[in-house]
Amino acid sequence: MNSNHQSNYKLSKTEKKLLRKQIKARHTLLRHEGIETVSYATQSLIVANGGLGNQVSRNQLLPVLEKCGLVDALLMPPNKPYSCVRYKTVEESKKAYDTLNGKEIVDDLGQKIILYLNFVEKAQWKELGLQALPPGLKVIEEIISSEDEKMLLESVNWTEDTDNQNFQKSLKHRRVKHFGYEFHYENNNVDKDKPLPGGLPDICESILEKWLKEGFIKHKPDQLTINQYEPGHGIPAHIDTHSAFEDEIISLSLGSEIVMDFKHPDGMTVPVMLPCRSLLVMTGESRYLWTHGITPRKFDTVQASKGHKSGIITSDVEDLTLNKRGIRTSFTFRKVRQTPCNCSYPLVCDSQMKETPASFPESDKEALQLEQDYVHRVYEEIARHFSSTRHTPWPHIVEFLKALPSGSLVADIGCGNGKYLGINKELYMIGCDHSQNLVDICRERQYQAFVCDALAVPIRSGSCDACISIAVIHHFATAERRVAALQELVRLLRPGGKALIYVWAMEQEYNKKKSKYLRENRTSQGMKEEISNDTSVQELLVKQLPNVGNQDSAHSVSSINDLQDGGCNSRNVANSKLPIHTNRTSFHSQDLLVPWHFKGNPGKDKRVEPFGPLGSCDPGPVFHRYYHVFCEGELEAACRTLSNISILQSYYDQGNWCVILQKV
Amino acid sequence: MRLLTHNLLSSHVRGVGPRGFPPRLQATEVRINPVEFNPGFIVRMIPKVEWAALLEAAGNLHLIEVPKEPIQGYEHNEEFLRKMHHVLLEVEVLEGTLQCPESGRVFPLSRGIPNMQLRDEETET
Repeated sequence: MNSNHQSNYKLSKTEKKLLRKQIKARHTLLRHEGIETVSYATQSLIVANGGLGNQVSRNQLLPVLEKCGLVDALLMPPNKPYSCVRYKTVEESKKAYDTLNGKEIVDDLGQKIILYLNFVEKAQWKELGLQALPPGLKVIEEIISSEDEKMLLESVNWTEDTDNQNFQKSLKHRRVKHFGYEFHYENNNVDKDKPLPGGLPDICESILEKWLKEGFIKHKPDQLTINQYEPGHGIPAHIDTHSAFEDEIISLSLGSEIVMDFKHPDGMTVPVMLPCRSLLVMTGESRYLWTHGITPRKFDTVQASKGHKSGIITSDVEDLTLNKRGIRTSFTFRKVRQTPCNCSYPLVCDSQMKETPASFPESDKEALQLEQDYVHRVYEEIARHFSSTRHTPWPHIVEFLKALPSGSLVADIGCGNGKYLGINKELYMIGCDHSQNLVDICRERQYQAFVCDALAVPIRSGSCDACISIAVIHHFATAERRVAALQELVRLLRPGGKALIYVWAMEQEYNKKKSKYLRENRTSQGMKEEISNDTSVQELLVKQLPNVGNQDSAHSVSSINDLQDGGCNSRNVANSKLPIHTNRTSFHSQDLLVPWHFKGNPGKDKRVEPFGPLGSCDPGPVFHRYYHVFCEGELEAACRTLSNISILQSYYDQGNWCVILQKV
Repeated sequence: MRLLTHNLLSSHVRGVGPRGFPPRLQATEVRINPVEFNPGFIVRMIPKVEWAALLEAAGNLHLIEVPKEPIQGYEHNEEFLRKMHHVLLEVEVLEGTLQCPESGRVFPLSRGIPNMQLRDEETET
C-alpha cells in the first residue's frame, strides 16, 4: 500500500490481493503461534515475514520501521518468522501499518521478502516478550467435531485387557492402551520386531488420512497410545525416546482441556494449554530436546481473559485463573523408527550417545572432540539455567580482584555468565568464553565480553595487568592442552602482571578431613546438587579448612615431590572409557564425566513419579560434562613448566586447587 | 564493544602473530552509552592505549574530536580526559565486523559481541 492511501470503499486489484495476504498472515499467526491480531489501531504491530526465523536481521528491519516513527522496542523472538514492534504513539504505529504493509525488503541471504503488518494488543505483546512456544510446536484447535470426539471416546474399551499387564488395578495412575506396537515402559521403547496384530483402529486410520491430506501432519503414524487422565493424574516430564519414534509426534486431546508443561534443558519452562478436540504436533526441537509432562493435580492455572484458547499461559498474574480438570483422554500417534536416530540433538539422543562412548583421549584431535561433545555443547544447552543458579562470588577471588590497582586491565578467560566482571568497578574487565549463550548473558549485564577459545585468546600479548581463569582449565582433556591454556594466560600478562587460576580438586578432603560435601552425603541434597552441577555453583563452606594463605604453599611443596612420579593415586590408562561420576562420592578417577541433571534439581524434587502403570522410573535425560580433576600440587607443577613465571601463592579453596602466579 | 576493548583485541589466525593487531573495525550500528566520568581511571588507562589503533578505529567510525596523541600534562587536563573518556568508554559498537589486517579473515560483531572463534583449520595448534 502506498502512502497516498485512497478512499477504501473501492480497492484495486493489488490492494485486494494485499489484503488477502495480510489476512492469511493473520490466520497463520493465530493458528501456529497463538497470536491474536486486532482490527483496531494499537501501539504494537506484528511484522509477519520479518523475523530472525526467516533470515531477517535486526539491522535490516529496524531502519525500515524507524522511518515511520519512534520505535519504543523491537522484539525479535529467535527462530520465528515474525517480530513485534512497539511505537511510541498509536499514530506512528498506524503510519507503519499503512505504509509498510506489502513492503518489500531484502533478507540476509539477499532474497526478497514481503512484510505484512497487523495490530496486536498490549497483553499479547507482553506474552511474546516473555516466552515463545518451543520451536517446532503447534496446537491445532477444533481439529475434530464434537460428534467425532464422542465417537472416539466411546470406541475405547477399557475393560478388555484384564490379563494384560497394562491393566491397572489401582486408580492411582492413568490408564493406557497401545495399538500398532506395544510400548514398553521398562526401557521406554517399542519392540520393532513384534507389531501388535490389528494395527491402528479403523476410525483412526480415516482421521489420520484426512489430516495428512489437509496438511496438518506430514507422516502417517503406525503406533497409537491412548492415555486416560483422571483429575489428579499426570505424566512425568520426559522426551519420547529418539530411537523409538520418528520426528513428528501428535497428540489429540479429548474430553477435557489440560495444561502441558514443556521444559528446555536450561530450565526454561513453557506451560501450554491444550484445549478439547485440539491436536498437539511436536516436531524438531520440541520433540527432540524439550521435555513435556503433565503435573498431577486437579486444577490448572489458565488465562482468565475470554477468547484465549490454546497457546502459552501468560505469566501476567492479573490474567490468570483456576480451571478444574475433567477426564482427559489423549490419542498419541507416532511413527516407529526403523533406523537409529540421527537428529541434531546428540546430547539427549540415545542412538547417538550409545555410538560414541567417551574415552580417554589419545591425541589432540580426540581431546578436541571430547571437549566439543562433553563441554562446549553442554554449556550451550544449559547456559540459561547454569546462569540462574545462585552465584555467590567466591571471597578469595573477590579479594584478588579488589586488591588490584585502580585502572588495571583484567581479562577473565572463561568468564561464563560474567560473575566476576562487575566485582571491582575500578578495573577495566573484559571477559571471554567459548559459549555464545553465556557471553550473551554477560552482554545482557552490560559487561564487555566476546566469544573465543581459551587456547587462542584474541588479546594482544602483554596487555593485561591481570588475568583470572576460574573453573576452566579442568575442562581440557590432555596435559598439553592444560599447559597451553596456562601459557595463553601468561602471554596476555604484562611483565609483573598476575594470574589467578582455580581448578576442581580431586581431593574432596583436605588434611585428612572430609569436606562437608562428603561427610553429609546422605542428607545434604543441596550439596549433592552443587557438586553434580558445576564447581562454580559449589557453596561448600568447609569450615574445617586451615587458613588459606602462604602456609599452604609449604604444605603443598612437600607433596609436589611425591608428584614427580605421578603421585596422584588414580592414573588413567589410555584408551579406557571415561567413568561416570556418582554424585555425592569422592572422585576415583582424575578424568571423568560428571552428570548434570536435565531437570536441574533432582535432590529437591522428593516425588518419585512412576513412569507408567508398571511403575518404572525414568530420571530424565542427563548431560555429562568432562572434567580432569587436579591432584594436590598438580596445578602448581603445570605452572612451573612455564619459564617466565613465579608462583606467589598456592592453596586449597572450597574443593579447588588454586594458584596465583606472576609474570617475571 | 567499546573502543577500549577493541584496542585490546588481536586476530589469532594461524601464522599472523602480532600482525593480527589491530583488527580493522567496520560498524553498521553504533550507540553512545553515557558512563560516569572517573578521571583517575582514565589517567591510568591512557598509557595502556595503543594510540594508532585507537585513531584508526575512531576514524572508521567517523568519530570527530579524537585527540591525535596524549598531550603534555594530560593528567590534569580535564577537557582532554573527558574526550578520551567518551571515545574509550562511551562509544559502543553493536553491529559490525572485525577484520584481521594480515589474513583478511572477517570476524562478526553482533549485539555488541565479537565472535573471535576460529574454525579448527585456522587455529595455531
